[in-house]
Amino acid sequence: MQQEREVGGLRCGEVLALLGDFVDGELDAATVGRVQAHLAGCDACERFGGRYAAVVRRLRAERPRLDDAARLRLDRRVRAG
Amino acid sequence: MSAEVDDVALLRACEDPSSGACARFVAAHLDRVWRYAFALTHDASWAEDVVQETFLAAIRGAAGFSGSSVRAWLFIIARNAWHRSHRRRVGEPASFEGLDHLGVAAGWGDPEAHVAAVERAEALSAALGRLDPLDREILALRDQDGLTGPEAAEVLQLPLSAVKARLHRARLRLMCELRSEVGHAAGA
Repeated sequence: MQQEREVGGLRCGEVLALLGDFVDGELDAATVGRVQAHLAGCDACERFGGRYAAVVRRLRAERPRLDDAARLRLDRRVRAG
Repeated sequence: MSAEVDDVALLRACEDPSSGACARFVAAHLDRVWRYAFALTHDASWAEDVVQETFLAAIRGAAGFSGSSVRAWLFIIARNAWHRSHRRRVGEPASFEGLDHLGVAAGWGDPEAHVAAVERAEALSAALGRLDPLDREILALRDQDGLTGPEAAEVLQLPLSAVKARLHRARLRLMCELRSEVGHAAGA
């Protein structure tokens, strides 16, 4: 791993800790700005953050689906008690 | 009428078995309860047992429901059903890795990009299957079923800060597993 750096007033480790809330849109505007300032100047964190966000997007897009046969089976099982 | 008010009204109607409300109640919530049960078990047959037990318990308990979120209540019942059905109760992780250590394992600071594995659905499913059930659980609640942080905290009976920490670590562990998928694919 590369040397941890301070960019935009935040160290890489601090950005890692904030990444979840950053991707979820749960940081205040000032902290978002500091994270963005770090990402703009830290290629490693910018790439890792992009991969993290891609995994979250994929999870949201690829939800497991209940197939029709299982749906019918479960409906019968609940009715039967 | 809000969705929550609808949910509560439908649940209340389940008290009358002749109303047909039970079937509508099951249909309204089946997908999300099954998805949650599957996240906990990662086994289709086991998930169906958990789902059946969840709805039967919910319908039996309809008269006593006094909460505000039927959805959160169903997840709590499903969680209990899963625990009951578990041969060996799954405890909290024995220890939390340091975030830096976990980040490095997930590829933080790695100049190589491993985006390809993220793009493969089967890789994602396989990686999810190797996670601890508690990691799959938080990913299912927050990232797949879209519960808010406070809703997930209600289901898990944890402080919001603990929910956030668990979600972040689960995502990083998933990234670790996706990296190992790349290794498997490269070695195949």
